[in-house]
Amino acid sequence: MTALEDSREQTAVAGGSLGASLSRKEDERLVRGDGRFTDDVEPARVLYMAVARCPYPHARITSVDTSAADRMDGVEHVLDPATLRRLSDPITVLRPVPGAPTLPYYALAQDVATHEGQPVASVVATSRHVAEDAVEALEITYEPLPHVTDVLAALEPDAPVLHPSVLESNLLAANSSGSGDPDARLAEADVVEEGRFRIGRVTALPMETRGVVAQWRPGARELVVHCSTQVPHLVRKQLAESLRLSESDIRTVASDVGGGFGLKLGVFPEDVLACLHAMALRRPVKWSEDRAEHFRASTHARESVHDYRIAAAADGTILAMTDVYATDIGGWNSPFGSAQLSSVVFNGPYRVEDGYTERRVTLTNKTPIGAYRGYGQPEVNFAYERLMDRLARRLDLDPVELRARNMLTPRELPWRNPSGAVYDSGDYEHCLRMAAERIGWAEHRGHSRTPREDGRLVGIGFSSFVERTGYASARFLAKRGSQFGAHESVTLRANRSGGIDVYTGVSSIGQSSETAFAQVVAEVFGTDYDLVRVHAGDTAASPLNTGSFASRTMIAAAGALREAAHALAAKTLRLAAWRLEVAEEDLEIAGSVVRHRRDGDVAATLADLYTVAITGQGIPPEEDPGLEATAHFEPADAAYSFGTAAAAVSVDPETGEFDVERFVMVHDAGTVVNPKIVDGQVRGALAQGFGAALSEELRYDPETGQLINGSMMDYFVPTAADLPSMELLHTEVPSPVTPFGIRGVGEVGTIPPGAAVANAVCDALAEYGVDLDSLPITPETVWRALAAVSEPASPEPAAPDPAGTGPSDQGVEFR
Amino acid sequence: MTETATSHGGTDGEHAPAALVELDTTVNGDAVRTQVPPRLHVADFLRQHLGLTGTHLGCEQGSCGMCTVVVDGEAVKSCLMLACQLDGRSVQTVESLAGDELAPVQQALSDEHGLQCGFCSPGFLMTATALGYQGGCPSRGEIREEIAGVLCRCTGYENVVSAIERWFAEHPQQAGSGGEVRSV
Repeated sequence: MTALEDSREQTAVAGGSLGASLSRKEDERLVRGDGRFTDDVEPARVLYMAVARCPYPHARITSVDTSAADRMDGVEHVLDPATLRRLSDPITVLRPVPGAPTLPYYALAQDVATHEGQPVASVVATSRHVAEDAVEALEITYEPLPHVTDVLAALEPDAPVLHPSVLESNLLAANSSGSGDPDARLAEADVVEEGRFRIGRVTALPMETRGVVAQWRPGARELVVHCSTQVPHLVRKQLAESLRLSESDIRTVASDVGGGFGLKLGVFPEDVLACLHAMALRRPVKWSEDRAEHFRASTHARESVHDYRIAAAADGTILAMTDVYATDIGGWNSPFGSAQLSSVVFNGPYRVEDGYTERRVTLTNKTPIGAYRGYGQPEVNFAYERLMDRLARRLDLDPVELRARNMLTPRELPWRNPSGAVYDSGDYEHCLRMAAERIGWAEHRGHSRTPREDGRLVGIGFSSFVERTGYASARFLAKRGSQFGAHESVTLRANRSGGIDVYTGVSSIGQSSETAFAQVVAEVFGTDYDLVRVHAGDTAASPLNTGSFASRTMIAAAGALREAAHALAAKTLRLAAWRLEVAEEDLEIAGSVVRHRRDGDVAATLADLYTVAITGQGIPPEEDPGLEATAHFEPADAAYSFGTAAAAVSVDPETGEFDVERFVMVHDAGTVVNPKIVDGQVRGALAQGFGAALSEELRYDPETGQLINGSMMDYFVPTAADLPSMELLHTEVPSPVTPFGIRGVGEVGTIPPGAAVANAVCDALAEYGVDLDSLPITPETVWRALAAVSEPASPEPAAPDPAGTGPSDQGVEFR
Repeated sequence: MTETATSHGGTDGEHAPAALVELDTTVNGDAVRTQVPPRLHVADFLRQHLGLTGTHLGCEQGSCGMCTVVVDGEAVKSCLMLACQLDGRSVQTVESLAGDELAPVQQALSDEHGLQCGFCSPGFLMTATALGYQGGCPSRGEIREEIAGVLCRCTGYENVVSAIERWFAEHPQQAGSGGEVRSV
């Protein structure tokens, strides 16, 4: 059930390829089973690595005896922590938390391990089975140390400190930003709604786990590393740093990547280990992460506790908004650790002149937090949108009208929020109204809250949002110490068959960049889509770039592709004009030929013209031979996608069981390069958003510090049978700050499901006064909330005491 | 085609604790006679012994469905079946579906944008192929239930369901027979 608005026809870019739902370049090999994922790479004489991991959340490693493993048949090499330290340097961070000290994190734990699953030793053998048997034969002794898994408890003065050599507490860094005088507005406001919102810990769980294949030729000083990553050029940089090599010595290749979602951003310990083994053995070494490892040794995301306040006048006008929050980073600062966009968009689409955020990045004895689709934005959306509904109830206002009143209008944009983010353009209220109309809000609002015939109560909830897509600028990134740029770079090269090869460091992770890149080149150059081929993810072939994350690829790459295609087209036309002895202005590129605009008989094939350029035989004297262009492009600013989602639910008030019966998503991605791909991105992110909203949560036993649901049998990602039908609607307001007016689209769907569903459930149960303040929302949490409000005076708790895992009463406080 | 496990380093090899087991099976229409270690599962057998890397592994505990193949007409998670259990049986993998042109079920998956990273696609294609052998014309709801054993983190499933629905609608005869089994 998909509804596409006709507004798409207003696409600013006319022409053949751009804006069309062309077939994907990636599909043929993938549906044939001919993709090349990292585990499919099998060099001759390859060996297999297995990793011994700390079973405790916090432990001193008192000894590592590898002798029994060394003696096993088939074991070729063992790395222990001391050897590792001699051979390598700590893993570097790509997107540091501002103000955070560097945590020394080696590929094997030195002295103390700070999370379950941290690598302690690694073994390479002739088969994976033998390698894993050898891991069992390692004699590693641990002295378990006191641990802390709760993010607020970790900030208490008596909490065990994870990195005492660098820090006196578990507060890695605190950052604040804001503008105006929010405290004064809070004091003078008619109402202040405030609440504590807990966001559960989840993981991206790409279907392909991580993996690496390392090959070393010492004579050539060439380390070839196949790995499953979103950022091959950044992996190359990080490997050079940890392995004490030059980047010149390293070639990183990510061919097909089976999903990334932010998890596969940068180097992990196993990448360093596989390289060290390969360099020691002079034989290829492969490591394929198993799913149990993935749950403990890849990254998690989202876990945070937000203390939010909205101050408002009696008519609902927002006067101030603040968010003070503790965000978990786990046992180590991973390369993209700690989601950094919560503060950036903490006010959502609302006009807030006076506001601030304070972020407390907190270490706990859990798997490190990394990036995950949305990168802090779903977390704050849940909090501010729950508060908006509470504010509406308190002031007896229609929640849609309250939102509309406070949304920034198109005439106010561009507008700088208290965090310094500049919202570029858009019509936020239009999306809200579309969502309200599609979901049937007016009818529902006018209806009495009596149960349906089946005994269920129905409710509707909204979530309005903005999404930061792309990076503001290299200057913005420099201020934060980020180790990459805001630009993308591509190389276009014509070939003698009449085609254009596009070389990019953006690996193919499912985002359809091969398709979209080819569309832009075909459009700008004027050639056929089928004549453009994109070669992705090989650092030896592609210009140095940034990578695929932050909904930034198309925003930046489109500009580079456009510039390079223009340069190639201009030279092609100059050569054609010389060869055909006509004026350049009279020629056009059309499909596979250059032809005279008025006389089709005057023409040359692209294959011939490219050959002329490549051989340099028959070119004008002032021209250089060759037909190739590299371009770099940094967009003027980040673009902010926006929209509103609406959920309709039915709830059984006896059990708390609920169904999401309808879900409407109205979204603006600016100019759309390929509608089919954009819809696919939105749908896929919504599915992940629904998982985090309804069924996914990584749980730790506070007593033992163990992850208790670290398998696909116990951690519930949505299946095809679980998801509601999504009704997608679009508006199309081109962004003024990006090429073609494109806004990023990869992450937006993760943002609204939690708030929309929670608001809908609370709406259905309004008469009970149920108030949901944590994700995920499960029938159990709804039932507990019902039990809490229906029997408030009961001496016996209506539900099991959640104190062990629940929020501490101290911890984050308003300043 | 005779294979010995010692030539494949991936899983088991010269260090396998138990003797090799005789295996006589059919893979994508071709007879395969070989010996395998008793603890080798079908997915590793296909990937490492036969080079059929279209069958992917996502969890090795039967939860994710990446490794789904068709054995004697039924969808099977190949990480949960031992290679030696293929003896006397016929297995079909994603590599069998296309000739020079994509098979209709593959074309439908592409046309409906039912894949993004594509890691799960072989699992869906083989699940659909087995569903096709059952005949009939499943509803969208039934398709959702039938493919719920294969997970996907990219698509949100809607387009996968549409692709299989379209395949059944446009190619009822092929959906009924599962398409032609081609040789490897």
